[in-house]
Amino acid sequence: MTAPLVFYPLAVLILLVSIMVVSARSAIVSALFLVLDLFLLACVYASLNAHFVAAIQLLVYAGAILVLFLFVIMLLNVDPDTSKRRLRLPETLTLLVALGVFGLIGGQLLPEQLDSVAQVSAPDAPQTSNTTAVGLLLFTSYLWPFELASFLILLAMIASVVIAKKPRKSDSR
Amino acid sequence: MSAEHYYCLAILMFLCGTAGLLLRKNIIIVLMAIELMLNSVNLVFVAAAREFNNLDGQVMVFFVITIAACEAAVGLAMVIALFRKFGTLQSEFYRLLRG
Repeated sequence: MTAPLVFYPLAVLILLVSIMVVSARSAIVSALFLVLDLFLLACVYASLNAHFVAAIQLLVYAGAILVLFLFVIMLLNVDPDTSKRRLRLPETLTLLVALGVFGLIGGQLLPEQLDSVAQVSAPDAPQTSNTTAVGLLLFTSYLWPFELASFLILLAMIASVVIAKKPRKSDSR
Repeated sequence: MSAEHYYCLAILMFLCGTAGLLLRKNIIIVLMAIELMLNSVNLVFVAAAREFNNLDGQVMVFFVITIAACEAAVGLAMVIALFRKFGTLQSEFYRLLRG
């Protein structure tokens, strides 16, 4: 696996940027932090030898989806969130529940981790490149899901056009 | 690095996303929190694919990214429709079902 020298700075940065994404006051700052987060995640994927996924992450997520978000934010042109930010009772309860869930899941993981101090041995370098292997898998065992995914994208495109188009004057809505 | 480190990072990212989803009122930031949660799931898939030396996990990430793109497109179209109807992005003003 990756060297700790690569993993820990990336992990700390990813967590900090994730917190900034959900706590930034204006949506556009949040979107820019999300770009940074996705880029750092692509670095983690590359360090895990998942080169195809890292490239897809950069192209589709950081490229296409984030541009869509930025377009919508600029199209709607709203003021930043100026409402008062106080931790009221529902928010406090939410935080407590979230921390409890983390404790539950993390408590399951931690003993495992202490036991398996012996590290997973790094697999041998693959004979073919990662992209070739993933592509072969996509076009053999996963051919039908792959074709269905293209159909899903077509459906999503039609749906978003229908939902976002201006209602005509004659519509009663 | 053992795979548990990656799982812990993914759990923490997922919790950031959950907190944003539950606490924020701006509906675009809520959508971005959902993207954050999807990304943490992708991280688990890639780390597990590495641990078990099996590429199926990376194919799953490909499909998750496809679904996420569709979800973002439809979700943002709904945001635009909601903004046309209510004139705001703050979700506490959306009360179609409240009567």
